Parts: sequence; C-alpha cells; structure tokens
Amino acid sequence: MTNIIKNVIGAVADKLDVTTPAAAPAAPPAAASGDHGSGRPFVRPNDAPRNRDILGPAQKAAGYEVGPELDANVPEGDPLTAWARRQDEYKLVNPANRRKMKVIVVGTGLSGSGAAATLGQLGYDVDCFSFHDSPRRAHSVAAQGGINSARARKIDGDSLKRFVKDTVKGGDYRGREADAVRLGIESVKVIDHMYAIGAPFAREYGGQLATRSFGGVQVSRTYYTRGETGQQLEVACYQALEEQIDAGTVKMHNRMEMLDLVVADGRAQGIITRDLLTGEIRGWTAHVVVLCTGGYGSVYHWSTLAKGSNATATWRAHRHGAYFASPCFLQFHPTALPVSQHWQSKTTLMSESLRNDGRIWVPKKAGDDRPANEIPEDERDYYLERKYPSFGNLTPRDVASRNARTQIESGHGVGPLHNSVYLDFKDAINRLGKATIKERYGNLFDMYLDCTGEDPYEVPMRIAPGAHFAMGGLWVDFDQMSNIPGLFVGGEASNNYHGANRLGANSLLSASVDGWFTLPLSVPNYLAGFVGKPVLSTEAPEVRESIAYVEERINKLTNNNGTRRPEWFHRRLGDILYEGCGVSRDEAGLVKALGEIRELREEFWRDVKVVGSDNRLNQELEKAGRVADFLELAEVMVLDALDRRESSGAHFRTEYATPEGEAKRNDDDWCAVSAWETRPDGTHVRHSEPLNFSLIDLQVRDYR
Amino acid sequence: MKVTLDIWRQDGPDAEGYFETHVMEDVEPELSLLEMLDQLNDEIVEAGGEPIVFESDCREGVCGCCGFLVNGKPHGPLANTPACRQHLRSFPEVTHFTIEPFRSAAFPVIRDLAIDRAALDELVEAAGHVNVMTGTAPDADTVPQDHLTAEQAMDYAICIGCGACVAACPNGAAMLFAGAKLAHLAKMPQGKQERSRRARKMVSMLDENFGPCSLYGECAVSCPAGISLTAIATVNKERWRSVLRGRHSRET
Amino acid sequence: MSVIEKARGQGDTVVRPKLNQHPSNVTLKLIMAATGTIFVLFVFVHMVGNLKLFLGAEDYNAYAAFLRTFLFPFLPYEGLLWVMRLALGVSLILHVWAGLTIHARGRKARGKFSRKGMKKKAWFAKYMVVEGVLLFVFIIVHLLDLTIGRGVASSEFEEATYEMVGNQMVVHAHAYENLVASFSRPWMAAFYTLLMVVVALHIGQGGWNAINDFGGTGPRLRKIWLIAFLLIALIIMVCNGALPMLVLFGVIS
Repeated sequence: MTNIIKNVIGAVADKLDVTTPAAAPAAPPAAASGDHGSGRPFVRPNDAPRNRDILGPAQKAAGYEVGPELDANVPEGDPLTAWARRQDEYKLVNPANRRKMKVIVVGTGLSGSGAAATLGQLGYDVDCFSFHDSPRRAHSVAAQGGINSARARKIDGDSLKRFVKDTVKGGDYRGREADAVRLGIESVKVIDHMYAIGAPFAREYGGQLATRSFGGVQVSRTYYTRGETGQQLEVACYQALEEQIDAGTVKMHNRMEMLDLVVADGRAQGIITRDLLTGEIRGWTAHVVVLCTGGYGSVYHWSTLAKGSNATATWRAHRHGAYFASPCFLQFHPTALPVSQHWQSKTTLMSESLRNDGRIWVPKKAGDDRPANEIPEDERDYYLERKYPSFGNLTPRDVASRNARTQIESGHGVGPLHNSVYLDFKDAINRLGKATIKERYGNLFDMYLDCTGEDPYEVPMRIAPGAHFAMGGLWVDFDQMSNIPGLFVGGEASNNYHGANRLGANSLLSASVDGWFTLPLSVPNYLAGFVGKPVLSTEAPEVRESIAYVEERINKLTNNNGTRRPEWFHRRLGDILYEGCGVSRDEAGLVKALGEIRELREEFWRDVKVVGSDNRLNQELEKAGRVADFLELAEVMVLDALDRRESSGAHFRTEYATPEGEAKRNDDDWCAVSAWETRPDGTHVRHSEPLNFSLIDLQVRDYR
Repeated sequence: MKVTLDIWRQDGPDAEGYFETHVMEDVEPELSLLEMLDQLNDEIVEAGGEPIVFESDCREGVCGCCGFLVNGKPHGPLANTPACRQHLRSFPEVTHFTIEPFRSAAFPVIRDLAIDRAALDELVEAAGHVNVMTGTAPDADTVPQDHLTAEQAMDYAICIGCGACVAACPNGAAMLFAGAKLAHLAKMPQGKQERSRRARKMVSMLDENFGPCSLYGECAVSCPAGISLTAIATVNKERWRSVLRGRHSRET
Repeated sequence: MSVIEKARGQGDTVVRPKLNQHPSNVTLKLIMAATGTIFVLFVFVHMVGNLKLFLGAEDYNAYAAFLRTFLFPFLPYEGLLWVMRLALGVSLILHVWAGLTIHARGRKARGKFSRKGMKKKAWFAKYMVVEGVLLFVFIIVHLLDLTIGRGVASSEFEEATYEMVGNQMVVHAHAYENLVASFSRPWMAAFYTLLMVVVALHIGQGGWNAINDFGGTGPRLRKIWLIAFLLIALIIMVCNGALPMLVLFGVIS
C-alpha cells in the first residue's frame, strides 16, 4: 500500500516537476477560480478513482464533490532527515531587508507569540493581533498536564523514532510522518528555550528536569510545571512577546478581532479586523499572514475550551480558499466534568493523569440511582479494566471516551442527569493513603470540589467525555503553509501532526514547535521571494472588497431584528453535534445532523437578535459572528464525518467496527487527509492528501 | 434561591455609572458568579434590555480574564478564588450582591464591568522578560536548578494576571503582581542575569502607573493564585539590590 | 501600515492617566522604614531610661545629668542631646513627609472609589496615618511638657541648669520633679498612657512594614523581625504606659 502511494507520488512528481518551496514564492501558482487562491492540485496519472472517491447515496445526497489530490510538499526520501534537508534548502532574507518585510501574526498562544517574537527578533516588521485584552489570555494557558519532548535522557527506551511511532500510531496513521519527525527533533530545543525564557519546569532533587508519563505511551517524556504547564509556557511566551513589543520589533494590537482575510494575486496579503472597542473595521496588509488562532472544539458549545475560543479566523481564511483538513477529527477528553445544569459554562477538564490512580466504573444495573458508596463492589462494572485488561484505565483518550459514551447511552450513566461515569479513588486512597493522593492530585481535587461541591476524597468523581482538541484545522504543507501562498498556519489551527487522535502533552509541543522553530524558518523562505516588492496597498480593491463584506455582514447581524440571542443558536448547534457527530457517529445520525445544521443556519440568519450597536464594545455581536462561522464549519465537520467511511482515532463510525466493537480502519481507501474546499456559492469539494509511512508499519491499535 | 443584585452599569468610559438592581427569583445554587450573570443577561435581553458587559474566558481560573468586585471584595466572598470558581452554594448566607468593576485609577472602566488592564501588560513589557534569542538557549539539563528553587519560582510564576491585587489595594498598588514577576524570574538561572536591570525598570514602571504599598495585605487575600505577601518585599529587595550591586550607572 | 478607516463611532476607548511619581514609592517606603526604625530604637532606649524612675529622684536626675554631660569636655553641655535632637528632627520630617506623600499618592492611584469590605487585619494599616497624626501631636505635647516647659507644661516646671566647679560640670536637673508634677494632672497622665497604646500599634504595624520595605524575603527573618517588633511594642506600651498611672496614683511621688 505505502509503496503504491510512493510510486504514485514519484511518478507525478517526475511528470509535473513539483514546485519546491524555494521556488514557490517566485512563481505563485495561478488562481484556480475567482478570487480564491489555488492549492497545488495534484493530477492523478490515471483517472481511476480510489474507493474513497466513489460516493455512496448518502454522500451524494449530501451534495459535495471530490476534487484533485494535494501534495504536502514533503521532502523526498528518508523522513528522519527531511526537516534537516528542507532547512538547508530554505532561502534567507538579508538582515538589512528584513525590516521592510511585513508580517501579520494573528493569535498569541504558544505558536502565535512564538512566531511573532522570533520573527521580530530576526528583524521583520511584525504586527500581532489578539481579540483578548492581553496576549497572555490565549487559551494555551489552560493546558494542564505537560509537554512531550523526545530528549530521551532516561534509560527507558525512549528515542526520536519511538516518539514518532507513538505520535503517528496514537494518531491512528492519519497524520504526516515527516512532520511528526520534525516535532520530535525540535522538541528538544523547545524545552531548553521555554526554560530559558522563564518556564520553571519541575526538577528532581538533583536539579535535573523531571518527567512524568502520559496516556498512550510507555516511556516518561512529559515535562511539566505542576498541573499548570500550559499556563507557564504561555506566560513565558507572552513575556518573550512583550520583550519584542518593548524593543519595537512587534506591534501588538489587542482587542482586535480578525474578521476576514485579504487575498490578492492568489496570495494572502492582509487581514481585516474589527477593533472591539470602537467597532472600527480596518484593513491591514503585509507580505505574509500567519494564523495561530487555535482549534474549533467550542463548536460543540459545551467543551473544555474557553468562552471566547472560536474558529472565525481560520474559517474566514477557508472561505477565501484555504482548505480545511479533517474537520471531523475532534478529540473528546474522557475526564471532563459532566454537564449538570443549563447555565454551566463548560465541561471543565480534569487532567488525564487522574486515570493513573482512579478506577472508572458504572453500576451494573442500568438506572441504578443509589449513591455511589452504597453500591456494593460486585454490582459495579469496571468496564475499562474488564475490556482492556492490559491498559485498563489508561487506554488512550478516544477509547476511554467511546466506552464512557457507550455506558451512558445504555442507561448506566450516573449522576442526577445520568450523563457521567465514576472515577473512583477509594482503592488508591486505601492503598497509598490520603496524603499521597493529595500530594499527587491535590489541586485537581480542590478544583473538582470547587466546581461540583462534592469531595472526591469521600465520593467518586463524576466524569464524562467533553469536546476538547481539534486535530483537524487549516490544511498545511510541510512548511506550515496552507494552499493559499503566503498564508501560514501554526498550532492547533493547522492539521498536520496529530492525525485522527492527539496524544496527551503533544498539543503544547506542536504549538511551540510551529511558533518558535518552524514558522521562523519557513516564513522567511517565502518572504525571500518578495524582497523589494511593496506591500499591497490598503486601498487595493481586494482590501475594500473584504471590508465591504465584513461591514455588510455586521450590518446584517445588528439589524436582523430576530428573537433569539446568538448564544441560543450555539447551544442548539452543540446539541445537534453531540447527538449526531459526537464520540461515535453513524450515517443516519450524520445525515440527520447535516439537515438540522443547515436548517439551524437558515434560522440563525432569519431569527438572530443582536442587541446593541456595532461602533463600540458589543459582546453579543462578537458572539453572533463567531456562531455564524461555527454554523458553516459544523456543516463541513459533518460532511467530513459522513464522507470518511472508516473509523480512525477520534472518528468512530459505528458501521465500521470490529465484532468486538473496536474501531476498524480502512487503510486501503482512507489512508489520507481529507481537505475541504467551500466554494463561494457554499458548495463543497473534498480533496485528499494521500499519506505514506516509511518509518512506522501500519498496525491495528489494540489496547486489550 | 432568590438573589438581589446591585450591578454597576456604565455606558462607556466617560459616562456616569450607577447601580441597577435586579432580582433573580430562581437561581440554581450550583451556578458560579459568572454563570449567574449569564442567566441574568438572558433575562435582561428577553426583557428588551442590553446585557451587562463583563469579561471572562477560560472559566476555570487560569486565564485571568474575569473579575469584578462583589460586595467590595475582588472576585467574590471566597478568599483566593477567581470569580469563575465561586459558586453560590459556597456562600448560601449571601443573597444580596453588589457587583462593580475592579476599582483602581490604573484600570479605567470600558463599559459596565469591563475594565482596561493594559497597565499590567506595561509592567511585563518594561521588565517582565528574559532576553534570550530563540534557539540560543543552553541545554536545560546542563543548567540545573534545585527542586526547591524550581518550586519557589513556580509559586510566583503562577500569577494569572487578573488584577485582583490592584483592585484589592486601597492604594491602587501593583506590588504583588510586580513582585511575583521579579521573584519568579530572579529564581530562574537565565532570568538572574538581568536581575538589576529588570528591577529598576519594573519599579519605574510601577511608579508610572500604580500607587504605593502600605501593606494592608488585602492583595494576598484576594489573589486567586495565592501569591504570598513576600512578593512585596521582593520588589524592594530587588530594587535595593540593584543599587548595592553598583551597576546602576553602567546599565541601560 | 493600514488604513481604510471607517468613520469612528463613539467607541469605548479608554484613556489612562499616568501617575509618574518621583521620587519612587520604593524610595519613600525605604525612608519611612529607616527613619521609623531609628524612632523605634530611640523610644526603646528612652523607655529604658524612664525605668530609672523606680530607683528614685536622685538616680533619675543623675541620669538626666549624665545625658547632658556625656563625653564632656569633648562634647559641650547637652551635646549628645542636641545631636540626637537633630537626628530625630530630620528623621521626623522625612518620616512625616514620606508618609503623607504615600497617603496622598495612594488616594490618587485608587481613584474615587475607596476600598470597602476589607478584613479586620487591614485596619492596622488603615489607621497608620491617623496614628501618625496623633503621635505628631504627642511629640509636640511631650516636648512642651517636659523639655521646653511651656504651654501644656505644669506650673512647677523647672529647667535644668549647670555650673562649672573647677573642671567639673555640675548639673542641677529637675527631671523627676517635672515628671511627677506633670503626671499628677490626671488628664495629662491619661493622655500619655493612651498615646502609648497608639505608639505600640504604630510600632507593631510599622515593624512589619519595615521588614518588607527593607526587602526581607526569608521566611525566618520575617518571622523573627515581626515577633521582635511586636515584643518591643508590647514592652513599650506596658512600661511607658504604666509610669504616668503609677505617678498619678501616688506609687511614684
């Protein structure tokens, strides 16, 4: 299989003389259609479609087409050396010319602040945008457990290759192998750098870096700062960004929300922002645009994400032609707090590390309403330990989430709404003592007590799967550039590392690697083609058009005179998605969800009510715009889930399962990334990027 | 439960503010203070009004976005807890809430409960960083740090930047915030290198934006991250250390 | 970069006033801590001297004479006292100036909405300024009463005099008599005793301030310092506070 793909790529590369990244900027491909940038369409040598390109009746009815394949521009040959070879190929920009090169960075999480700070240090003219009041609020701040690094110092068998294997296998072979290698290589520098700029990583008594284990791997490679690793990395990155702001190399624009992309000559050349305090709509142009705007998990309304997390920046780029890859790959975190009341803000995440000592169970009898401690031992079903004796409670997130969902759906759920399962520490407390448990998880237990009012030392925690991390995102090539030349994407907003399921502690890593060590190399390579070229005028017709579009949309929202707040539509969308495109999916449910989403979107534009005016701080308006984009994104998510007729990682189609109910991949047809295009008229085209693996053999994941 | 809310409404930075009273007949005790405002906003919009503007994001106590004064206290009746983690059930005796924005001249009101906290960013911009060019950092294992120092650095680094310390201070001082940053970075091997410079810049930025410390100790009571009052001594220590080390004139 | 601008609406952009405080608050606080510590040491030594009252008029007046003839002939008559008066006077001016400046800056930095709902412990800090004003009044009263002998002083006040007997300076001090005369007036005795409570409060909170202003961050140092200052405050309050009452009720006469 892999050989076939390789041969195909080889043959096509020979025929077409695939553009190298170095050559790309000098000769940007012509625009494919309208004002949209082009991808690098990959014409198949013979027209015989693969099985994945033959649509079934439900797929046909959903109304999308299959487009040409994509080339991710991965260097030929050994993936282990691909990144080093690519770095050698990269073009450079003379330091004297750098200050004339304008860069726009949107987002200030680990990748955004890293890219902005480093490009600023290097001498580029950087403008950085955040919708928050301060760059430090970016949602990277909420990550808890840690950051992986393939430093492999311990004698526990870790190595770069092991890291790549864990990442690729954990992603169920739907991520790019060479990118995972880069992740591993740069991970070493990430720890060094983060420590140097201020992240106080946990230390052993001898002064060396401490590590812990995380789900899905058998070595200890997760570096951490207590349960607040994301916060510490974010604060360190924010400080580095502030340093560059102080030095004048980066101009920071807080409370500015990106509402559209400017594409001219087939290249991304600017963005449109709304000043959240004055409502001013303004165009900004640059030689290159970098989006580091995070994931779209909050499309589910109840998620582990922040209230403000949204997909508007990436979605607006998508509507200008950037492909959206694998939107259906969305991770559900098994240890989130269940929904217990209508006004609950979110399904707060409890760290995965709790599963090291907690035992997950439900009552054997469906609908058993007795308090947990009154249910005798032999009436409890420790279903993970029963079904997966070798991994037990530490199965990967997708497996744990799916099993919890199965228990809840079969009526075994616990709690007042019967929507959760127990995570019980009684045995661990008996075995290790309360003091040890407190030392290990004290802050998490306190947080649980705060959130629920229940004391986890006395009664079991109640947990449920919650929408968490988006493996999908804007499609990027090996250089983190989308199919629109000049539009680079980093962190969770992009798609390339995690395949169909992300390993714990790999998200902080991918964001850091992109921001600090990939984009600062690949963006200048692109910029090298534009030295001496002026930046697009902010009076250019493309800028005016985008501004007019944004203004029209805002006018439409504020003058709609509907009856329901944007929040209502978001809730409803979340309900539809959890029901039809949640932890497990099937064709009928997806078709139903698709219809409901389309209906809801129409209803939204008919009936949304946005209170207040557009020329000042208006949170209802901000929300409305974000929900409007979610309503479009959700449709593509469901299309992707409907289209991908296999189970892989977080995407579990009940039709594609082994007799034991485990996920069944279809590598012959679906070993590929799906990248979606939405045409201006709203119709969809699915492209795919075939994947091949030369370091890792494709195996069936089995955690039994 | 039934609660009465006196909420500060201010229609823009220059407008006069006033308290608006709302009675909520049926509020779940499970609700956090922010969720209570979510529900209230729904009721307000339903009745044809404009919702109360308040900021929040992560809602799990780490982003530092949220915060307002509840009966005079930053974040709410519970000590050392952010507003998003203060649930009504934790203080059943309180049924009358006076909610107003964080008060300090350094935090001008934008609208209702939303304030501008850029003054805190200015402190970090002026001095809260370590000058290391990307890629030049030495191996973190060859720059050891003893366990206790790492933990102590973490005790200060954990600040979430919400500004409650400033709002708690009758003098509008930001000593706890600044001290936490200085203490954190002074304990990091790489951060130590520019300690003196950092201290001087931090203090002069404090003098630009914030008031003096009279050691009321209210900041440490309000701090959701539990930063200790020692942070305040750290500002003074670091500043005087920079004088005693005699590098004052040569450094920029 | 930029710029196609939409006509600006009213907007919600804020303007933040800059305070630009000079000299630095950190400097002011150090001044307060240093001068305050000088006062505490002085008051403590002063209190030890006061305890000579128990030894009787002769010893007490001898102590007063000693202070005036200290290091004679290297120092002139009352030389030591004048050195101390000068040092304390400068300290007082600096302490009061810094304190009032900090207070004013604090009000300004807070803005028009003062803090409400503070915990009781914060009252110690809150009333430092009030205590300071009272102590200032006390210092003036005390100087008039027992040093200068005008205004509030008792009618029997008699200034110390000296004569030279050969090379020897002989001082005729009336400190004991002046003190007994003054404290025999109930309102004055009460005033002194009450003010000693204020002194104790001021020293207790001031000591805690000082260790922070001096930049003491070690947990043990901070604890010892705080305990030491609380002890000093307590001792001063008890010893100094008791004397006027003992005089008033005739235990010392």
